[in-house]
Amino acid sequence: MTMISRMAFLVLALAAVPAAAEQSGKDVYGKVCATCHASGLAGAPRYGNAGDWAPRVAGGVARLYQSALNGTPKGMPAKGGNLALSDAEAKGAVDFMLAAVKDAARPAAAQAEPKKAEARKDEARKADTAKDEPKAAPVPAAVATTSAATTEVAAAAPADVNSFNRLLKPVSKRNLPPPEDGIHDPSSDGTHALQPPLTAFGPLPKSNAGNRINWVEALNQKKLNPRYDRLDPKAEPVVMDLNIVREVKGSMPDVVYPHKQHTEWLDCSNCHPAIFIPQKGANSISMAAILMGEKCGVCHGKVAFPVSECRNCHSKKKELAVRPAAAEPAK
Amino acid sequence: MKRLLSLMRGLATGVVLALCTVLFVDIPDAQAEYGDVVINNYSDAAGMRPAVFPHWFHRMRFRCKVCHADLGFKMKAGGNEINMVKIIDGQFCGACHNGDIAWSVENCNLCHSGKPGTQTQVHESTIHKLAQPAGTPKK
Ligand code: HEC
Ligand code: HEC
Ligand code: HEC
Ligand code: HEC
Ligand code: HEC
Ligand code: HEC
Ligand code: HEC
Repeated sequence: MTMISRMAFLVLALAAVPAAAEQSGKDVYGKVCATCHASGLAGAPRYGNAGDWAPRVAGGVARLYQSALNGTPKGMPAKGGNLALSDAEAKGAVDFMLAAVKDAARPAAAQAEPKKAEARKDEARKADTAKDEPKAAPVPAAVATTSAATTEVAAAAPADVNSFNRLLKPVSKRNLPPPEDGIHDPSSDGTHALQPPLTAFGPLPKSNAGNRINWVEALNQKKLNPRYDRLDPKAEPVVMDLNIVREVKGSMPDVVYPHKQHTEWLDCSNCHPAIFIPQKGANSISMAAILMGEKCGVCHGKVAFPVSECRNCHSKKKELAVRPAAAEPAK
Repeated sequence: MKRLLSLMRGLATGVVLALCTVLFVDIPDAQAEYGDVVINNYSDAAGMRPAVFPHWFHRMRFRCKVCHADLGFKMKAGGNEINMVKIIDGQFCGACHNGDIAWSVENCNLCHSGKPGTQTQVHESTIHKLAQPAGTPKK
């Protein structure tokens, strides 16, 4: 459905890529490379970010040209995926990106980088005031002026080229308060009245991805008791305890699908019959479908824990793997 | 797994090509909370900021069933054709944002808090990370 239209769009877009005359490095960057290199999509070194580029430039510009022309195994597609580009155009784009990091090497340009460490401390302090009860009325919170102040603080600290985690989302970019998160408009008073996630997450059990909250444990430990009915706070969920094991070909552990954890949150009608026929083995499920937002991916990778948490789903060791493990403690 | 990788790569590459026809250079990296839904079917056109629905905030208070079964929200960002008439009538957000269960509709800016021009999306979703820029496209 939406996938098909998406694909159709891609095909159209493919056809629409102009086979223009020689384009400047800047144009090529803007039209092709920026999609990944502006934001660091898929781990691409970011435009203008000296820290991202330094280790690569160290290998020599000739190697970078080769990577741009032929692609790399780690996700850089040959010519950025636009094979209509001439070699010279692709190299021009590399030059254009390298020129930007020469500028960025000057301290002033490090500005954009290490974000808002100070603001986060403020938020953490506010965490004590967290409330789980729905608020009675929206109290217009004191408009945080921290954001402006912190950019200056941040500007003083240069980007660390050899930072330990180069690509992992740093702690300072997780669970940002609304005015800093890039989606909310900081110029609106409403934005500043919203609750920063960290002030609410304080007492909840942590996890490694998504909201970085283990929502299943939060219920188990009774840290949360969200309503099962819009009006009646006492309504109890209809929980069904039925595990479905889905064998997986290859070396990945089998998938255990637990009805219990799901029916704590969801109604049968959320999954049956629209997403899954309620019959063991009747549904064909694959990781590809899940990544595309179908089957388990309707929720996992959007609201429930994301697909990166392989072990949560692939939780049952294979017979083969179990035997040697079982043999050890016996000894 | 190979298939999966090549598929992801294929998708990324394809989308890149698609994007270069419609998009532009500046992709501010947005870092909003996982599961935040931006709803912008009509808001931009109507000169309002897009509405932002925070899942994390609501799921601390309600189980998914309340909205996605009882209130009939389809699990599709932008798929419910929500508008203010319906909300004031007590449908969708209006089932709660009625001054009884939660604060009422006059607090426009609490819902309409998105950066103008932000497209409808589930922030941080797999597809979205693979395929779409998080922030605001120019034009
Ligand atoms: C689909 C996303 C994507 C697009 C589009 C893209 N790149 Fe990349 N690029 C990447 C990724 C991911 C990496 C990091 C790969 C790695 O570490 O091997 C990368 C790395 C690079 C590198 C460094 C390679 C190295 O060996 O260190 C260069 C140079 C480069 N890209 C040039 C370009 C140019 C020029 C364009 C436009 C014509 C472009 N890229 C378009 C994703 C992309
Ligand atoms: C099942 C009931 C329910 C529905 C449906 C609902 N909300 Fe809410 N919402 C609440 C409650 C309860 C609060 C907390 C009110 C308070 O703090 O007084 C809230 C708070 C909010 C907040 C403020 C969060 C904060 O940081 O304080 C926003 C924004 C919001 N809702 C947006 C929406 C939007 C947009 C929709 C529709 C797409 C919607 N809500 C639908 C119950 C609901
Ligand atoms: C989050 C989604 C989800 C929810 C919610 C859910 N189910 Fe299921 N259900 C599944 C999946 C996945 C399967 C396995 C299908 C398969 O193996 O192809 C399944 C299988 C079943 C089966 C078949 C079992 C068998 O041994 O053949 C029954 C019966 C069933 N569900 C009943 C229910 C009932 C009753 C509820 C509500 C209390 C419910 N389900 C809620 C996802 C769900
Ligand atoms: C309709 C939405 C939905 C669908 C579809 C769905 N899940 Fe879930 N799943 C959830 C929610 C919500 C949770 C609670 C945890 C969270 O939100 O991170 C959960 C939790 C789980 C857990 C529990 C993890 C733990 O810590 O105990 C497993 C395992 C799981 N899902 C696997 C699956 C598998 C496998 C499928 C597909 C067969 C699937 N889910 C489909 C919504 C869904
Ligand atoms: C939300 C639950 C969930 C998560 C998270 C998850 N998987 Fe899966 N995976 C499944 C299901 C369900 C199947 C299909 C099993 C079957 O064939 O019935 C599957 C199948 C697979 C397969 C078999 C080939 C295929 O495409 O069907 C591989 C390999 C795999 N997963 C790898 C991974 C890896 C690697 C990760 C972590 C990056 C991961 N999975 C995370 C649920 C999950
Ligand atoms: C509870 C959350 C909420 C509140 C409060 C709210 N809205 Fe909306 N509003 C929405 C949602 C969700 C949409 C659908 C957004 C879209 O698809 O672009 C919407 C759409 C709109 C639209 C475009 C569609 C239409 O109905 O014309 C306008 C204009 C609008 N709102 C104005 C307002 C004004 C003015 C207020 C304050 C009096 C307000 N809204 C308060 C959630 C809210
Ligand atoms: C207070 C109401 C509310 C609660 C509670 C709620 N949601 Fe949602 N959900 C929404 C709204 C509103 C949307 C956006 C619909 C739109 O844009 O029209 C949405 C969208 C979604 C989507 C669609 C994302 C996409 O693919 O576009 C998924 C999946 C989803 N919710 C899962 C869940 C899960 C899982 C839970 C429980 C952990 C949950 N929701 C709890 C209101 C809610």
